[in-house]
Amino acid sequence: MRLGLAIDLDTCVGCHACAVACKEWNGESLMGGAPDYDAWGKAPTGTWYNRIRHFEIEGDPTYSPHRCGSTSETGKHEPLSKTVNVPMSCMHCEEAHCVTVCPTGASYKRAEDGIVLVDPSRCMGCNYCAWACPYGARELDENKGVMKKCTLCVDRIYDQQLPEEERQPACVLACPAHARHFGDYDDPQSKVSLLADARGRQSMLDDLGYKPTNAYLSPRKPVEIKTELPIKSGLSDKARAFVNRLIQL
Amino acid sequence: MKPALSVIFFTVSSGAGLGLLVWLLIASLMGNHIRMDATTFYKGAALAALLITAGLISSTLHLANRKNAIYALTRFKTSWLSREGLLAVLLYPLAALHLAALHFGYPQLPPITLWTLVALSIAILYCTGMIYGCLRTVPRWNTWLTPAKYVLFGLMSGAVLLPAVLSLRPAEVGPIGKPMMAIFLLALGLILYLAYLLKHPRNTHTINDALGFKQGNVRLLDAGHSHGTFLTNEFGFVLARDKARLLRWIAIVCAFIVPLVLCWFTKAFWAASSICIVGLLVERWLFFAEAAHVVRLYHGQQRV
Repeated sequence: MRLGLAIDLDTCVGCHACAVACKEWNGESLMGGAPDYDAWGKAPTGTWYNRIRHFEIEGDPTYSPHRCGSTSETGKHEPLSKTVNVPMSCMHCEEAHCVTVCPTGASYKRAEDGIVLVDPSRCMGCNYCAWACPYGARELDENKGVMKKCTLCVDRIYDQQLPEEERQPACVLACPAHARHFGDYDDPQSKVSLLADARGRQSMLDDLGYKPTNAYLSPRKPVEIKTELPIKSGLSDKARAFVNRLIQL
Repeated sequence: MKPALSVIFFTVSSGAGLGLLVWLLIASLMGNHIRMDATTFYKGAALAALLITAGLISSTLHLANRKNAIYALTRFKTSWLSREGLLAVLLYPLAALHLAALHFGYPQLPPITLWTLVALSIAILYCTGMIYGCLRTVPRWNTWLTPAKYVLFGLMSGAVLLPAVLSLRPAEVGPIGKPMMAIFLLALGLILYLAYLLKHPRNTHTINDALGFKQGNVRLLDAGHSHGTFLTNEFGFVLARDKARLLRWIAIVCAFIVPLVLCWFTKAFWAASSICIVGLLVERWLFFAEAAHVVRLYHGQQRV
């Protein structure tokens, strides 16, 4: 199995509900623990497994062919802003360099489902794995001095006491826009595999060679809407036009 | 990257100690050229041990959970940090064996232990460099120049320390000649540092690569947090350009040029080695402060 998320950049509204749900589930859980520091003070901060960042893309002709104008006419991008909200958590990479650099063996990738986890009883808090992660997925728990990261809610997804539809990561269940999907990428018929195939993945620092498991589904290409009305010339159209003209006399 | 003082001190201090150990051991073989009595050898060995040990202790200061540090010796198959720690720990029993063989008179053993110690010291320096050099996430470090710098600068500062140690010899041995190895390595170090400044990888990734929107301008609207995070604290350190330029010149002058002049024209070897180490501390601080991690692209930086 190769478990992971598919995150739809088209439908994500950037509400941070996934991050809050994550914090709520993992804040006190056995695997997790995501403390806040100075939570009610002037500069509140904390450890989060999932952070949502908001970006603006200006003048990408792929996503605005009809409103942007042709790039060949002007030779440069026309200004048009597209906003994408990018929730980022652990990608559970196939080539997880965070695991290979770990000197203590606290970071590991499970053979059975590909989830990357940290064993807090071995972690010495050297931050080296966070340095090796290009996606900023790892954050130190300053209270316990050990590294924390997305566990893909490993304590939910196998829990036989939960109803089957709830055996999913907390972020997926919370997403009000259904922008997050969970599944097995090794199964070509799983929802996430089909979505990734149909929509395409965004390439996020792929040249570093980490092979992220999570897929960021590319925003759909806008469909061009024709502004001129279609001219029809069937017999019924002629009759209708004739009647219309009579009425308007 | 955040320039953590404990790591900066560790790499410079242990580097100088390992370099001194290498040259001290090689000097002990050259009895005809370098007349070093046993007391001076032990003084030098004590200084090297002090520098190495102080560095290694300092390196544990930045650990958030020190009680698990013992596990750091277990993943030497994949992790350069583990390899470095394991080799550094192996250094002590081997050095003890070497000293014991010298002291109790087993003449067949010291040549083996000596060259093993030399190889081990250089291997430790290489591992320290590879801890940083292997990170693909910090393009500025991900070059062969990084481990080369760590090995060469360690050997270089050790070579400058050796004549300082030799100046502790009794007066009847006579004056110290020109320390040609120190001068050679200082010149080589200067060339390598300038090469690194000119040739290190830069602007390898853009914010477009980070998000996969290959065309158009991408900019951060909102980072999603109101105050600093672990990530901004660890990777967000930005150095002002004019300050960096000033520090770079201080590093070039203190680490290479002044010790070179002092070694060539004077016998002030303690001054030369102290200034060299100060310069290397500045160089190492810059090494961290100037390095940009690719996660900065997700915080709005346009290129790394």
